[in-house]
Amino acid sequence: MSLLEESAELHQRVRAFARAALGAEAPRARAGFEPLALDIARFQARWSPGYARLVAASGDRLDHAATLPAVPAEAFRITRVALHDAALDAARFETSGTTAATRGQHALRDVETYRELSLLYGARALTSDAPGRRTVVALAPPPTAPPTSSLGFMMLAFMEAFDDRALADRWLLSDAGVDVAGLERAASRALQAGEPLLVLATSFALAFLLEALGHRRIACPKSTVVMQTGGFKGRTREIAPAELRARVAAAFGIAEARVIGEYGMTELSSQLYEGTLPGGALAGPPGVYLPPPWLRVDAVDPATLSPVAPGDTGIARFIDLANVDSAVAVVTQDRVRNVSGGIELLGRLSGAPARGCSLAIESLVAG
Amino acid sequence: MTLSNDARRGRVRRYIERVRRLRAPDDPLGERARRELPAVTGLSAAGVELALRQYLELDPSAEELELLCASTPEAERVHVLLSANVFVAAHRAVAVALAASEHVFVRPSRREPVMARLLQEASSAFQLVPELAPAPGDHLYVYGSAETIAAVRSTLPSGVTLHAHGPGIGIAVIDLGPGSTASAAEQAARDLAPDVIVFDQRGCLSPRIALVLGERAAARRFAAALAEELAAWEARVPCGRAPELDAERRRFRDAALYAGEVFAAGTAWVSLDVSGAAPLVPPAGRNFHVRHTPDLLAALAPLAPLVTTVGLRGGRALRDAVATTLPSARRAELGSMQKPPLDGVVDRRGG
Repeated sequence: MSLLEESAELHQRVRAFARAALGAEAPRARAGFEPLALDIARFQARWSPGYARLVAASGDRLDHAATLPAVPAEAFRITRVALHDAALDAARFETSGTTAATRGQHALRDVETYRELSLLYGARALTSDAPGRRTVVALAPPPTAPPTSSLGFMMLAFMEAFDDRALADRWLLSDAGVDVAGLERAASRALQAGEPLLVLATSFALAFLLEALGHRRIACPKSTVVMQTGGFKGRTREIAPAELRARVAAAFGIAEARVIGEYGMTELSSQLYEGTLPGGALAGPPGVYLPPPWLRVDAVDPATLSPVAPGDTGIARFIDLANVDSAVAVVTQDRVRNVSGGIELLGRLSGAPARGCSLAIESLVAG
Repeated sequence: MTLSNDARRGRVRRYIERVRRLRAPDDPLGERARRELPAVTGLSAAGVELALRQYLELDPSAEELELLCASTPEAERVHVLLSANVFVAAHRAVAVALAASEHVFVRPSRREPVMARLLQEASSAFQLVPELAPAPGDHLYVYGSAETIAAVRSTLPSGVTLHAHGPGIGIAVIDLGPGSTASAAEQAARDLAPDVIVFDQRGCLSPRIALVLGERAAARRFAAALAEELAAWEARVPCGRAPELDAERRRFRDAALYAGEVFAAGTAWVSLDVSGAAPLVPPAGRNFHVRHTPDLLAALAPLAPLVTTVGLRGGRALRDAVATTLPSARRAELGSMQKPPLDGVVDRRGG
């Protein structure tokens, strides 16, 4: 089979796996994770010289998902992490400029897998308490064409899937700040329609919103859900996560459990969510991020990349089946702890402390 | 108060003469240096010995001292905040301060206080203080991380002149293009290796990257030869312990391996890029990145703000191009990057 034929077949298998793993036969279907992960890894080792070198250096036989050599997220910044030719890119998602002197890039040949899997799991995390249409807005700038932000792409997919109306005032963040009036109009429309409001936002944008609101509140349905993602990345407005959740809930007049954390990164094609939505399909305490069945996360030792003892802190090593055409195994600098069914996020691993005028690698790559 | 340069040079010369004791292993202070420095610097005993014997700047020429005094503004009192970087750097920092004033106050690094103490005991030329208290009119020299400098700047009393010297790296620029000899790659690797190994790359002059002009095959030969040289050096001068770098070393190796080619260099790695990749800066600990480039100026541009010194191998045109692109960086021959003349602060990027 050619690269493209093999890739297309794997995309089909991943989508089928995802549907089945969330369906009635989930326990049986989920047993398919391991062989699918290995097939994708072998496919990548065949077609990616970079991954082949990593595999050869590790001596791994690609026979256990738990030991698959992982591509450092750093690699997305310094080279192209994709099996296919750049001319076949359907999207190139870029990492934010605040974390790298040169932006990293994740090239996707097929965005449909990304879209379908994001919707499958996003729906369970954010809308499974009350099926049906909702008003969806984003405290984010509108996506560019072609899209360069994976988050923007996902937000647009949510708007199209969960709210099929061609409404204005969807994208409520610009250089001028948060469009509070637009948010209030959307909330009012949701109230009038008797449907939930879904607000998709970064933590940074929510901090902006709180500042703009002052002591005012948004009049919105009690069924409103706020999806909160991302940290502050060194920006000046920084609020502790628990405080931000409480203040956002208060601003919308909703239970704190309806402010739901999402974790994603440009180098992955899948997302994790908190399972706090009352009556929703996911269940977990605040601060615990639950991966979908097609994503496995392990806390590993940053030097050896071996799993740490249960309950210990390590850096996140992901096996993401949706990364068919890039890197199925990715290791990041994010510190995590595996807890029941998910992970706790504990911030980024900082570079080794610079001794005086020597320069730590982090200082050189950080913007 | 203005002293003649003769008087200032004399002060610095007397200090240096007294400090020479540290180089002698049979002197009590020299013996203490060899006993105490490995623990606080993280360098191996052989690494400390190498630095004391070959990189402690104890034999400046008269011209160097003239330049040192000429480039250092005179002051009534000078305060020096040292960092835990290359331990011999404390010596130059004190020499610069003494060129400026006879009243010098030094606050050692909390992580590495030994060298400053040894210098003080050897010379009695300055005072060690637990905290600096500069007054208006004084000059304050700060060596350290960007965070340290920012913290000092934010609390600086008015009227104090700050000379801040922050983080940086060295790079090598090597022309292996037409006209270079068949063994030029290997020779360049042999010459550059000592610049990489000394201080385990912890200094702001330490080279981390080489930009190589010429055929890619030549760049590859250079990378492979450098890895061999570094491994050979490690057998003689082991790399010190740096467990805090283990994670970065792994990340660097794996990312570099994915992006290009990696050569084992003892316990460290030398990487070689494959094509126009974004800048890859390896962690300290004798790791190195070789970047093959057909366009020197484009490759230099993103690194320019970081570069304190450039090791050069090539002709006049290459040297002129580097001088024009990096006017404030020191320029040295390969093998001499860590031996700048004692003519002022090592970092000339401003401060």
